[in-house]
Amino acid sequence: MSIVAIFINIILFLLLAPLFDGVMRKITARVQSRQGPPVVQPYYDLFKLLGKERIVSARNWAFRLAPPTAFASILTVAALVPFGSRLNALGGRVDAITLVYLLTLGGVAVLLGALASRNTFAAIGASRETVTMVMVEPVLAMTLILGAVRAKSFGLGSAVFGAAGAGTSPSTLVMMAAYLLALQAFVAKQPFDISEAEIEILEGPFIEYSGPDYALFRYAMMMKQMFYAWLFVAVFAPFLRTGFYAGDILAQLAGTLVVFVVIALVGSTNPRLRIDQAVKIYAVLILIALGAVGLAVAGM
Amino acid sequence: MWLTSKIKQVLMVMKPGVVTLRYPFAPRPAPENFRGRPQWDHAKCVGCGGCANHCPARTIMVRDLCQEIRVLLYDGARCTYCGRCADVCPEKAIAMTGRFEQATGDRNDVTERLELFMLTCQRCGRCYDMETPNAVDKLGLTGYRYDSLEARTVLRRATDRFEPKELDATERYERPETTGD
Amino acid sequence: MLAKIAKKCFPRSLWVYHCNSGACNGCDIEILNILTPYYDVERFGIKLVGSPRHADVMLLSGAVTRPTLPLVKKAYAAMPGPKLVFGIGSCALGGGCWFDTYNVTGGGATAVPVDYYVPGCPPRPEAIIYGVALALGLVDKKAAPVELKQVEFPIDIYERNKAWEERNVIYKVLNP
Repeated sequence: MSIVAIFINIILFLLLAPLFDGVMRKITARVQSRQGPPVVQPYYDLFKLLGKERIVSARNWAFRLAPPTAFASILTVAALVPFGSRLNALGGRVDAITLVYLLTLGGVAVLLGALASRNTFAAIGASRETVTMVMVEPVLAMTLILGAVRAKSFGLGSAVFGAAGAGTSPSTLVMMAAYLLALQAFVAKQPFDISEAEIEILEGPFIEYSGPDYALFRYAMMMKQMFYAWLFVAVFAPFLRTGFYAGDILAQLAGTLVVFVVIALVGSTNPRLRIDQAVKIYAVLILIALGAVGLAVAGM
Repeated sequence: MWLTSKIKQVLMVMKPGVVTLRYPFAPRPAPENFRGRPQWDHAKCVGCGGCANHCPARTIMVRDLCQEIRVLLYDGARCTYCGRCADVCPEKAIAMTGRFEQATGDRNDVTERLELFMLTCQRCGRCYDMETPNAVDKLGLTGYRYDSLEARTVLRRATDRFEPKELDATERYERPETTGD
Repeated sequence: MLAKIAKKCFPRSLWVYHCNSGACNGCDIEILNILTPYYDVERFGIKLVGSPRHADVMLLSGAVTRPTLPLVKKAYAAMPGPKLVFGIGSCALGGGCWFDTYNVTGGGATAVPVDYYVPGCPPRPEAIIYGVALALGLVDKKAAPVELKQVEFPIDIYERNKAWEERNVIYKVLNP
């Protein structure tokens, strides 16, 4: 059963990530008082990109390997995470640090691909993406550390479920606030989407990718968004556990949808911050997250 | 404080609803004085060539095929829809219609071609020929005109009498290559 | 089979790259207009992208001037196939009023193979949306060449007066 759960994980992530992205685009459109694309639009985008010609504009191994690496790393994360509030066969053998490393691998793949493009705009996007990654990944790591401190073990299940396991303690609430504030940075939406995929620097790190490579990058970004929204629900919303596997999955997906609606609303009503302004906010967030971990260590 | 202002902003932007026009699926006609594609009325046109003289893009060509037949070709490719031709026409034969849905894949779809009969004199049976050309009449492009219809070019040549050799000279006119690599 | 699905999804998600080759910005403003909520061309799935490598359609505005001619060709070559080019405005059609000046090479067709033209100076946003809908196959083409004739038949001297009053007018409008 838990081996089948691996495949259910992967299939759910692959199928539903573009749907959630479409919901976000539709909500952004409604906030801007316009009709907007249909909700299944990202599926059309991905299939169309797969059918385009693949132009390799820089003939080095980093350019060619970056999209599959990014996609593979996030797919591995999707296979590992406990879905439906129980671990699957892979998740039981993995600890929380592997999760952080896999996500960092995905980010580094994007950076490598950007720097291998030999394009100035991509270099600017890569430098901004580096700064964002360095300042924002600690918040994710400290969320998992909070659960590990609570449950006294670094295993993936204890790290994810341990944070809220002790009920609504002050450390959990502070960490939830830090995670919510950093959520926009995790999913790379306004006000923190300075690093990638915007018109100011002509799409940033992905400027030279076309066709199937770009489809892989976009798919990886969508699955990353879904992972972060899902993580919020799994860590901080323990009341959504019904005890049945299917019921848990449905409850978790419903929670993820609510988180996506909130992301879309916040994203469409905020301007984009400059990188130096965003760095100041990230520093404050790291301090808040450290405070939460300190509270947990102190026993509260 | 920031949070309440953002919540108020979300509620405020939801109020107008969806304002998108359903345009290609619901018609949306142009406003009244809109200058769309010009339309010649062949019943009123007397073939004076004033529109061709005044077009800023020189996109109306006039050519006399013989003494009695004058061809007016409006090549809408360069037309800027300024309306000067309609303004200057003495017979009010040009109307700037409200047609703006002119997207097409072929440049020749926006052309309009008139063949006009230049009426002959009741007494001598010929079209108007100036016996002695005078200076005033030479100022504008009056007389017989030989613009190139194939190359869509206005050539500023006009003669007082119909000259078949001018017609032959401009028959296969080719526009000179100006730029381009 | 993936190719068939990709071909079916192509008209539903056209990504647009806007290339201004020396325009006065009138057509550019109208192109920006169709991305606003009032005309909202994103409901067809069309998105504005910043890099020609991500784009399917190039919106070309402006008479192609001499400095921009190689750049427009480079941007067109950077787009992955299948690709379309829309020429927006009368400058992209045939050079506008400046078609024979010293700096203008004469319209979009000198640089790239243009698939659809949208005439106007500048074209109304509805006209550009009409062009987009025409490319997607949602509407029929309305532009057609018009040919009008006013040729009188040869008359003899006894019917000159009658012909003077009633002109024989023949016209036909060609609709391909």
